Amino acid sequence: MSDLEAVVTAEGPGPPSAPPPPAEATDKSRSLSDDAWTDLRRSKIFWFAAVLVVLFLVMAAFPTLFTSNDPRDCILARQHAPASGSHFFGYDFQGCDVYAKTVYGARNSVLVGVLATLLAGVIGLVVGLSAGYFGGWLDALLSRFIDVVLGVPFLLAAIVLAKRLAAGSNSTGIAAVALTLGFLGWTTAARIIRSAVIASKNQDYVAAARMLGAGPVRLMFRHILPNSITSFVVVLTILLGANIASEATLSFLGVGLRNGAISWGISIAEAGRYARTAPWPLVWPSVFLALTVLAFIMLGDAIRDAFDPKLR
Amino acid sequence: MFRYLVRRLLQMVVTFFGATFIVYALMFANQDDPIRALAGERPISQAERQVLTERYHLDASFWHQYWYYLKGMLTGDFGTSLTGRRISDMMADAWPVTVRLALMAIVIAAAVAILAGVISGIRRGGIFDNVTLVLTLIVLALPIVVLAPLSQLIFGIKLDWFPPTAGLHPSAYALLLPALVLGSLVVATELRVTRSAVGENLRADYVRTARAKGLTRQRVVGVHVLRNSLIPVITLIGVDIGGLMSGAIVTEGVFNIPGVGFNLFRGIHTEDGPLVVGFVSVLVIVFLVVNLLVDLLYAALDPRIRYE
Amino acid sequence: MSGKRPWKTAVGATAVVLLATGCSGSDSSNSSSTSNNVVIGIGEPQHLIPSNSTESNGSDVLSSLFYPLVGFDADKKPVPVAAKSITANPTSKVWTIKLKPGFTFSNGEPVTSDNYLNAWNYAAYGPNGQGGSYFFERISGYADVQAGKDPDGDGPQKGAGPKAKELSGLKKVDDTTFTVTLSAPFAGWASVMGYTAFYPLPKAAFSAPGVIAPGFEDAVIGNGPFKIKGKWQHDSQIQVEKVAGFKGTVPKIDGITWKIYQDQTSEYADLIAGNVDVQTQIPIESLASAAGDLGNRFQKSPNSSFTFVGFPTFQKEFANVDVRRALSMAVDRKEMTDQIFLGSQTPATSFVSPVVAGYRPNTCGANCEYNPSAAKALYDAAHGPRDLKITYNADGGHKAWVDAMCNQIRASLGIKCTGVGEPKFADLLTKVEKKQPVGLIRLAWTMDYPLMENFLGPLYATDGSSNYYGYSNPTFDSLVKQGSVAPSPAEAITKWRAAEDILAKDMPVIPLRFGQNVYGHSERVKNVDVDLFSKVDIYKIEIVK
Repeated sequence: MSDLEAVVTAEGPGPPSAPPPPAEATDKSRSLSDDAWTDLRRSKIFWFAAVLVVLFLVMAAFPTLFTSNDPRDCILARQHAPASGSHFFGYDFQGCDVYAKTVYGARNSVLVGVLATLLAGVIGLVVGLSAGYFGGWLDALLSRFIDVVLGVPFLLAAIVLAKRLAAGSNSTGIAAVALTLGFLGWTTAARIIRSAVIASKNQDYVAAARMLGAGPVRLMFRHILPNSITSFVVVLTILLGANIASEATLSFLGVGLRNGAISWGISIAEAGRYARTAPWPLVWPSVFLALTVLAFIMLGDAIRDAFDPKLR
Repeated sequence: MFRYLVRRLLQMVVTFFGATFIVYALMFANQDDPIRALAGERPISQAERQVLTERYHLDASFWHQYWYYLKGMLTGDFGTSLTGRRISDMMADAWPVTVRLALMAIVIAAAVAILAGVISGIRRGGIFDNVTLVLTLIVLALPIVVLAPLSQLIFGIKLDWFPPTAGLHPSAYALLLPALVLGSLVVATELRVTRSAVGENLRADYVRTARAKGLTRQRVVGVHVLRNSLIPVITLIGVDIGGLMSGAIVTEGVFNIPGVGFNLFRGIHTEDGPLVVGFVSVLVIVFLVVNLLVDLLYAALDPRIRYE
Repeated sequence: MSGKRPWKTAVGATAVVLLATGCSGSDSSNSSSTSNNVVIGIGEPQHLIPSNSTESNGSDVLSSLFYPLVGFDADKKPVPVAAKSITANPTSKVWTIKLKPGFTFSNGEPVTSDNYLNAWNYAAYGPNGQGGSYFFERISGYADVQAGKDPDGDGPQKGAGPKAKELSGLKKVDDTTFTVTLSAPFAGWASVMGYTAFYPLPKAAFSAPGVIAPGFEDAVIGNGPFKIKGKWQHDSQIQVEKVAGFKGTVPKIDGITWKIYQDQTSEYADLIAGNVDVQTQIPIESLASAAGDLGNRFQKSPNSSFTFVGFPTFQKEFANVDVRRALSMAVDRKEMTDQIFLGSQTPATSFVSPVVAGYRPNTCGANCEYNPSAAKALYDAAHGPRDLKITYNADGGHKAWVDAMCNQIRASLGIKCTGVGEPKFADLLTKVEKKQPVGLIRLAWTMDYPLMENFLGPLYATDGSSNYYGYSNPTFDSLVKQGSVAPSPAEAITKWRAAEDILAKDMPVIPLRFGQNVYGHSERVKNVDVDLFSKVDIYKIEIVK
């Protein structure tokens, strides 16, 4: 095998090295999604990631399945006490059960991360796709709009948005934080998809499809988008992790989750101050956060590899 | 190409005014009581309040205040901050050190990300790939409010490899640790985007053709694959430069660098409208110039992209 | 289109960028290597004109540039320093200040009465908007130098200008003597004059009568043992060096670099690395490791800070005094100061700080004693609210202890308690002014001068400048006033103690903690003392030989 073939067929989080046997292909006409699903089903990485994601989603929805302790039962006398009984991770600075706080923290963290990233992805996709595909004055307008949004310091916009969006005095403010992070985080994704669309719209297959009579919408969604989506998905998966961590910074400034909300970001930021003498309250929420980010990244990789028509 | 450049420059002017107007409006919306914000917790006398209100036109309507600001800016006068210092002096102090820090950070981050991304992209699923994935995750999972003090503690104090703080006029060596910490914010995304782009381009037809023509692997990867894979990462780098300059608040605080991030934070905190808008004006210009450069680079990297 | 050229350009460009960023910096931290200088860490001062300096950073620097009229002895009694004598007439209404002769400013000008009177008139004159102006309130004629109030609030009509340009109560007798007439007798006036706002200003400070010369604030000239070297390097440092031939107490060091830090944790990192010699406030995060890092270079001394939570009077759920007493008894102050503050603060069971004359321990009595069962019984009987909020400013690092306090209240009383962080103190005050349901509000106080009255008047008098919660008790007000006009300090203290007893009955606030200076120094220096005002004693500190 030549070097190049070795490179091309390298094992990894991707589709199998051999194309599906011709016999299957002639049974019925298959769409891209059918092909993708077949590949996905065979990928070990996909299943591993899917299991992790489902695990965290269940933890977010039903924390009582994982622990029967109350994360708010904090007794100062137990400050930094070591693990005991069902308190697997010990106690933090306030004397709260670290394991219980980590389990209950999943809900707010995952919710904020997913909602903010979804919002950023949708806005970014619409803006970037339109700007890249239509070009001309629309591209100029949208690109300058992106520049304007980028020019506003994140902190300032976050504080003002959070204050204006703050709901009633008893809510934890999840919607406000997710909206803030979403509205301010879509610009990178938009620029990425715009650059990818610009690169692919001049390709021959697009010209061919247009000559065959495809309209702009069909061109955009069936031909250009699948070929430009790779980097966009990668950025979104990382944005998810970044959003969960950004929530911590916002909470620290007093414009994040309020009213005694529990989240990984808040736990990490609080525990970080005492990391020299008590590292465990910092380590455990960080591990959970990292695993969640890993799961979404792997899931994103697997799905993207399956759907990428260049890899057929 | 020339007409394109002229159009872009004209658009830059419009964007500049748009962005500064939005920031001005945001500061105004954020302002409940800037005099109280400046005073912190101590009580303020009626006399003090009256003097400051008059001096900074704080009782004028929004459009009045914006007009005063515009007039000043068009004559090159960025005005005075609520503490009495000239903002142009504050900017002359803050910008050089932040530019140095951000440039160092982006160069280090881009170099690491592209190098590691290319290697990971070539040997997908290998040990190097998985190790970088784990390292990426660690850096991503720790918020900067934890990462920065932790690095200062481990590398600055315990191991004593770097000075723990930098200051206003630091040497390049003193800026190295803050640059590494700052760069860690963006290296994860850049690395993974490079990796995926490289992996994708390696399977393209033109790579097989190049190899069939007898080109060495270095040339195939270094010349052909890399040029095409760089487009998304260049986009990111362009966005990140501006982001690092304005967002390095925590890093600048931990390493005691009174740069742009610190001044922005202080200005937002004390509701010092002129200060924030002054710094943001320059930041917006930086963004616009960098984005123009990035768009021009697309055309250089990929000859299929044309601008008229 | 050779493939190598782009790479060479890229590598070359990177190298150039790195070199450029590297070469354009210079390491100016040469401060600690100079033999007889010390480096003291501060935050960026807001102002360096003495009458406008109301925060500790400015006061620190000014204490090296100026020599105060009055200092304080171990019993917190005022002793003349730059003054030769300070005497009051029998009613304590007219005070005569005699200056020590022979003193000069660092630019050679002699120090005379005019220097004091010009500075004080500038400070008191309303339109100058000086932050320390209110210190001169007691001087006769103060109201006349204030601008008239705006007749329609914030509207377009401006108030009338001040009736006078100078305080009628200040009179020069000769070059080294002047008198101060107060609008009402006040036996503690000598202590008030120890504050930063009362420093004199040289003629060089004014470009015209009543107008500070531009640029003076960046290179302040004072009558103290040190003078500024160069200018105030904002956000970086202020260097001061010895004045030759200083007539007062001569410090043992030759110069100070006041190094400016934005963040106390980064200052602490520099302290351990030996880049700064004294840190006057070690942050809580570093306290756990400070004893290990510094050994016996880690010290504590009392200061006047007082932390408490107030009950805004517009919230009817706290109107019943039993509710307030029960909440006070539900808090375990000792556990909080031990666990959260690691002993760096002490529990407060009185309403005035231990550092002032007239302090009595435990004036709050049973109301401040931790007694969860009695608290619960009292609270339930008084129908206290089941859902409690404590509002604080998130930028002050208060989240940890407010959450801890809420946990204690929850455990003692069985009610729901949440800490609500507002981004800034200004936001908290806005909510209070709008009478929104904030619950308890976290507040703190540091004294302006070491008198009991300074803890009573501003915080609890009906028109007190920091009485944000709206407490009002006419008997209390009159007792404080009677103490202020009492003929001798001892009689003043009697009245003030009676006023404090009223507070113990009414419980308008829950006293929580008194602060201490928790400071550390490097191995280069010894004899480091930090006083009541959290200032380093620059006359005692010396270099280890």
